[in-house]
Amino acid sequence: MKISLNWLSQYIDLAGLGVDEMSDMLTFAGIEVEDIRQQGVDSPLVVVARVASAEQHPQADRLKVCQVDVGDGTLHQIVCGAQNYKVGDKVPCALPGAVLPGNFEIKVGKLRGVESRGMLCSASELGLPDKEHGLWILPQELEVGTPISQVVKADTIVEVEVTPNRPDLLSHNGMAFELAAISGREYKPVPIDDAQVELEPAGDFVRLDQPEINPYYTAVKISGVKVQESPEWLKERLVAIGLRPINNIVDITNFVLHEQGTPLHAFDANRVQGGIVTRTAYEGETFKALDGQEYVLNCTDLVVADQSGKALAIGGVMGGEESGVTESTTDIILESAWFKPSAVRATSRRLALSSDSSYRFERGTSAWNTLRGSVRAVELILELAGGTASPTYVAGKPAPNPAHAAMPSCGTPDGPTSVFASLKQGKGATVENGLGFVRLSWAELDQISGGSIPHEEGARILTALGLRSGAEIAGEEAESEYWLVPPHRLDLTRACDLLEEIVRVFGLDGIPSRFRGPFVAESAVDLAYNFQMGLRRKLGALGFYETQTIKLIASESADGTIAQVKDALPVRPLQEGDIIRVALPLSEDHSVLRPAHTPGLIAAAVRNSNQGASVLRFFELGRVFRNTGGGKGRDIETDTLGILIAGDRSPRSWADPRPEQSSFEDLLAVMEVLAPGHSFTLTPARPREQAALGADVQLDGKACGYFARLSLSRCRELGLDKPVYLAELDLRKMQEILTAPVKAADLPQFPGSSRDAAMELPLSTPNADIVKAIEAAREKLLVSYSCFDVFTDPSGQKLPADCKSIAYTFLYRDPAKTLTAAEVDSAHQRVLKSLTDKVKGLSFR
Amino acid sequence: MKEEIVRIQRDALARIAQVSDRRGVEDARIAILGKKGELTLAQTGMKDVPREEKPAVGQLLNDARRAITEALDAKLVEVQARADREAVAGVDLTLPARSLPLGGLHPLTIVRDEAIGILRRMGFALADGPEIEDEFHCFDALNTPADHPARNEKDTFYFDSGKLLRTHTSTVQIRSMEKQLPPVRVISPGSAYRRDEIDATHLSAFNQLEGLYVDTDVSVGDLKGTLEYFLRALFGSDTEVRFRPHFFPFTEPSFEIDVKLKAAGQEPRWVEIAGCGMVDPAVFEAVDRERGLEPGVRACYAGLTGFAFGIGLDRLAMIRWGIRDIRALIENDVRFLAQFQ
Repeated sequence: MKISLNWLSQYIDLAGLGVDEMSDMLTFAGIEVEDIRQQGVDSPLVVVARVASAEQHPQADRLKVCQVDVGDGTLHQIVCGAQNYKVGDKVPCALPGAVLPGNFEIKVGKLRGVESRGMLCSASELGLPDKEHGLWILPQELEVGTPISQVVKADTIVEVEVTPNRPDLLSHNGMAFELAAISGREYKPVPIDDAQVELEPAGDFVRLDQPEINPYYTAVKISGVKVQESPEWLKERLVAIGLRPINNIVDITNFVLHEQGTPLHAFDANRVQGGIVTRTAYEGETFKALDGQEYVLNCTDLVVADQSGKALAIGGVMGGEESGVTESTTDIILESAWFKPSAVRATSRRLALSSDSSYRFERGTSAWNTLRGSVRAVELILELAGGTASPTYVAGKPAPNPAHAAMPSCGTPDGPTSVFASLKQGKGATVENGLGFVRLSWAELDQISGGSIPHEEGARILTALGLRSGAEIAGEEAESEYWLVPPHRLDLTRACDLLEEIVRVFGLDGIPSRFRGPFVAESAVDLAYNFQMGLRRKLGALGFYETQTIKLIASESADGTIAQVKDALPVRPLQEGDIIRVALPLSEDHSVLRPAHTPGLIAAAVRNSNQGASVLRFFELGRVFRNTGGGKGRDIETDTLGILIAGDRSPRSWADPRPEQSSFEDLLAVMEVLAPGHSFTLTPARPREQAALGADVQLDGKACGYFARLSLSRCRELGLDKPVYLAELDLRKMQEILTAPVKAADLPQFPGSSRDAAMELPLSTPNADIVKAIEAAREKLLVSYSCFDVFTDPSGQKLPADCKSIAYTFLYRDPAKTLTAAEVDSAHQRVLKSLTDKVKGLSFR
Repeated sequence: MKEEIVRIQRDALARIAQVSDRRGVEDARIAILGKKGELTLAQTGMKDVPREEKPAVGQLLNDARRAITEALDAKLVEVQARADREAVAGVDLTLPARSLPLGGLHPLTIVRDEAIGILRRMGFALADGPEIEDEFHCFDALNTPADHPARNEKDTFYFDSGKLLRTHTSTVQIRSMEKQLPPVRVISPGSAYRRDEIDATHLSAFNQLEGLYVDTDVSVGDLKGTLEYFLRALFGSDTEVRFRPHFFPFTEPSFEIDVKLKAAGQEPRWVEIAGCGMVDPAVFEAVDRERGLEPGVRACYAGLTGFAFGIGLDRLAMIRWGIRDIRALIENDVRFLAQFQ
């Protein structure tokens, strides 16, 4: 919201208050100052000047050397680059010593070797909207030497961000009240005599069909008005805050909105048949608003209509083009009403139509101000446009503040936090505005401030903000915990609201910092975090970069750099409906929650491969999402670790000029480093469509994830010319196994003996069969074994092409004695026999 | 016999002198001093030596063996020293390293871990909550009005089930209080989502760190002291910190926190870094109700006080390293990632 300090100073004494000091005051009262802009200049050194002559600059084509008359009896030489003036024109001139907006000081200087003693100015150089390109050509009737501040008054425009809980600040009067309260300066309200205003029940003239949304409506008919241009002072106010003057009636409604915060609307009375009816719109009803656009309404929108049924305005949002006030209008109906915030907000949002009125209504307006705004506007209209006003027709009554109404009304010290008082407005008929009391015990202030705010200071702050203590009203000390809330403060309904006011105004500087806290036990989340950070650090040291990819991915995308479900290798296979889709995605590329890390990792690999990276090693830890029952079950969130490895094993260097390509055993090796003392096994599983190879991953025999090689056709689609290996591991299961307590084992007391065996077996027989056969021997003396060679010969020369040779070494030991050679040999024979028995086609070489 | 010994010694020393490697030394030792070595064989001739000459011949044999052994040992040292010299002669230590693949943590992980480390030292425990949330935990319990703009489906991602992607990590405040009895002193890092188009300053999914401390008499002074300490630990012990009153539905009073930071070559300026405030009593009442406790009757949380805070981790990383475009954090370009290790 824009505030003009000239305007604001009508309601508060700002004398001697620097703009920076004021900005700090507002900031530390919770009103964020977004911008401060100087408009026009105050300096007596910026004056009206006449261009007496303009000669070509000897050194520069685009410059002229001017002699200007500023009324001091001599001509001043000024070099000027503008093109839009002629000799004899009157223009603003800033003389040496003047300071222009932006802290730009004018000095005597030389331009391309010619002395220049000042500057001829454009409007924008004076902080004003540019009326034309180049110098600001002033009216001829102005006297030379007149300070420009007499032509256009200098002003400062402060743009503030008002938080949604403070609609009372959305006007110059409201801001003045607040600033007076926090600065101690004098508040000078515009006198509005709402107690003496002539009221009359609206009867048939105003009918409220939707009292839920519009419970209270006032209308004044003013006949015989003269619609014309507004006087200068009024236009100046509106222009200062960026509004465009239209005519006196419309300008007055805008003025009162920005002065008092009361949204008003004026209808051309001759366009209104009968009287006013506020109703919900018909489904599909169309309405042409003042902005020239046509809007399609539905039955949740409130319209202000006439008795013929024709809609005149979208209630609280915008008037209609047809019923607006124009030059030919002679009679008007002035509306001031209260609309329910949520209804106005819903309509404004759905139609994407916002106005100064809807902005205020949707944040909440004070019903007390409804009549006051109307009184203020009628007074100004009669003054500036003439005419005769009817009494104010009142339909319905102000809705009580819902927060107050929700509480029981009573007065015992232990009971309620609010009771009611009321403020009466009008004569003849009267309007009653319910007021709320809020109960605040000083013990609560002590609790929240740690006892650092004196109670008297708290009371002083509340009083300055317009609250009145119950003790003062009732004349009894017993009521001192009750505070009467002023009618413009809709946000003060609970004790904590009052505490906020006290702390906010008192400021945090006066509250000493305190350092303390209880001992806190480590949580399961702490343990998981420690485990996961350990994995991150290991993977980083193993040459993997951690990625952070978007959790909302595409279900399918044409762009290879965008992660998509197709590439997902989830911990458990995906079924139709497992993927969780948001209802209204920003785009198809970010429409479903990732079921795995692999899509994001593949997108990262593609991106880096495209920029020339030869080693592609990435990992990501975090949450993945899926539905348990094909869309009908629970949505579950799991923390998993995704790892991708592709491309060269290491970057090329002189020591390794042709690095080998990474393969599955590299990824498996990395996984094993993450789990020393444990073993990962891969059990080949039917691969998913996108996986050329796939396997279930077991950690110490327990299912723990999924492993795959991306299919070559998918690699080609993505432009990756190297095999891509992926793993997706369940972190909870890994943590469970890897953080189980460990007891140190004693070192063996007796030496072991090893025996090797080279086996020849069919190419298609997996290593897993050998392992199974060795385990099946249940040989007590066998302490470990490992595969140390795999040999195949596709040419069939050294070995049949459909066979492979695998060599194992076996270690035998007895914990209680040194084994004899014969004992070792017989144990070895038992293992070999199990191998020949269990593995079809196996022979020893 | 004597002549023979002298000859063997002469020949042996001549042979040893010719040897140029370790192998040659070993071969010579075997050929001369071995079981069937020349000198060993000559020794067997002792039995034919006349008795009176035996001492002199024996002496001669011993001298020869000692001289040969010494020559062999000296030669071995010599050839090994030479071999050692040759072994390093070709090594150029000025060549660059063999390249191992480099890796490391994401910048977001680095700042998050630092923040968590500080807060854990201050006695906060980690807490967690789901990212797919319900309206109760995301809005209702956090005192957000039914028609609050944040609840709009244009600003928040909803699912057909009526659930939503949490718009802030403040949901974990409610989850934590539901799960445990006071005092509560938790932090919770995690993702939150808003329906913002992705650009240089916005991501539709971003990262926050939430904090909550609830006890019988937690005051604004505790809030101030805790956050000042935290932010100074994060940005440097002489960092200026200020609290500006603000508005959030779930805290009252609420503040935004600025820290005064100095970028290279620039005047120090206030940078907004976090939001915080005293937990609104309506939040405690909502938690009690959810626990089946009537506010005021056997209340668990109503009547207590506490503070909560939230800090944007992406923003923290951007400020820390002067990252200009937030999208760099999700593009995972190794040329970017390599800068933070």
